[in-house]
Amino acid sequence: MSRIVDGVTRPAPITVEIDGAMIPAHPGETLAAAMVATGIYRMRDDRSGAPRGLLCNMGTCSECFVWIAMEDGWRRRRACLTPVEDGLRIATHEVPL
Amino acid sequence: MIDIAIIGGGPAGQAAARQTLAAGLSTTMIDEQARPGGQILRQPPAAFAVKGWMAGRLYRPLRHLLAQTEADTRLDWRGSTSVAGIERIADHFRLTLSGAHGGTLLARRVLIAAGCYDMPVAMPGWTLPGVMSAGAVQTMLKSQQVVAGQPIVLLGSHPLLLVLATQILDAGAEVAAVLMPQTYGRMMRAALPHLPGAMFAPGPLIAAGAAMARLRRAGVPLMMGARPIGFIGNGRLEAVDYAWRGRTHRIAAQVAAVSYGFLPQSDLPRQVGAAVRWARPAGGWETVCDGAMRSSVPGLYVAGETTGVAGADAAMAEGEIAGIAIALDAGAQPASDMARAQARRARLQPFIDLLRAVADPRDVWPQATPETLLCRCEDISVAQVEATMARLSPMADASAVKHRCRIGMGLCQGRSCEHALVRRIAAAQGCDPDAVAPFRVRFPARPLPVDEIIG
Repeated sequence: MSRIVDGVTRPAPITVEIDGAMIPAHPGETLAAAMVATGIYRMRDDRSGAPRGLLCNMGTCSECFVWIAMEDGWRRRRACLTPVEDGLRIATHEVPL
Repeated sequence: MIDIAIIGGGPAGQAAARQTLAAGLSTTMIDEQARPGGQILRQPPAAFAVKGWMAGRLYRPLRHLLAQTEADTRLDWRGSTSVAGIERIADHFRLTLSGAHGGTLLARRVLIAAGCYDMPVAMPGWTLPGVMSAGAVQTMLKSQQVVAGQPIVLLGSHPLLLVLATQILDAGAEVAAVLMPQTYGRMMRAALPHLPGAMFAPGPLIAAGAAMARLRRAGVPLMMGARPIGFIGNGRLEAVDYAWRGRTHRIAAQVAAVSYGFLPQSDLPRQVGAAVRWARPAGGWETVCDGAMRSSVPGLYVAGETTGVAGADAAMAEGEIAGIAIALDAGAQPASDMARAQARRARLQPFIDLLRAVADPRDVWPQATPETLLCRCEDISVAQVEATMARLSPMADASAVKHRCRIGMGLCQGRSCEHALVRRIAAAQGCDPDAVAPFRVRFPARPLPVDEIIG
């Protein structure tokens, strides 16, 4: 675990689904933080199928684009700017039908 | 219609808002982050409690300003919102917003204080997950209270790496190594002419010295003159290769934090037609302004890193100057004196010049190979860009290269590759980068869903 624990109080964890796996996340965290803290560095694939991950962590580079299941279908969002929510479903390289 | 829209909730935007609010102007502040602070004071989520957060003495004026900003109920704060477009219409501006406060915002005046971002530097393996900007690793620590990975290697020419290394140590994690390509002698020679002036505000120099001592005590190898060669890994970063004292070495890493300098966020000033110039020495485009932070577009002001990367203290001073100018231009009474704010900004210049000289990446760039991707969004390699440039007229500008091979046409709108392409064109033409016409900046400045545009 790479979350700093000393001196940090977080809300009780919720669960986020990433590529079918359930990972813990704390409300308020960004999706990028929850992924990196769990050791998930692959956030999208490029045209050649090579994995890509977080680069700038400030909304500028668009490398952390992930697919998020929304009411009206799968949408692409920057993981570094998206707060986690309970029950959030994410796909990194393949969008389920 | 509001009096003033401030784009960016960092030190510059906050210092400006203090003035415009005191002058009674209706003030809206927009930022992509949920809470104000900027990258320098990127706040933890509101639901977190972090003991002794950013408690260092150098951050005290910034924390004080942030507390004032958050307590000011007159400020219309719009966080988690991106500015995708800016247009000047008759005597006012129209902003196109996306996110939590999406829609259109009309403002009589606009201040762009949108900060800067880590300069992306193309080198072999740099698209592997785990290779991040130093800023990414630092904001992950400051805001999310997450160490991006272990082991972690810091590399590049910018002394920010020393600060980041101590912050990682403070978090209870380890730093495998700090690799800086310039030699200690070169760094000192670069610093020397600026030292006397910088001693008027020695805080950052003392902090840098303390950081180096701290790394020594913690046993962190700080290797000056170590030239990063590339990133190694199968599907994710596993190691960093570098040259050191005539030999090639490999060091294990789950995360690499890279810092060769910073580029001003220039999309919005360029989109609205403000004059920009090539930033010295590290590159990118800084927006031209007068002594009161007025850009070349009437009613448009700029402050902080938008005008050239100079750090948070300069941003705070420039924001104050801009806020005073906005109040005066609107016929209102600012809270502070213009001449005093300008003097405060001027006193910071020697240290800014010192840091720029010390961090200058131009003779220590890592080498890209023909296969290295220059454009990370459209996956365009160095070889493809060179072949395209060879086919075009020698006088072709950046947009001509873009139209032929799609470099810069992706989601980041060229923020990662434009500076590198401009340098390549300048080198091929034997001219200064400032003489190369950059990409024509298009709407939107940030990726946004199509249904937000068409409603």
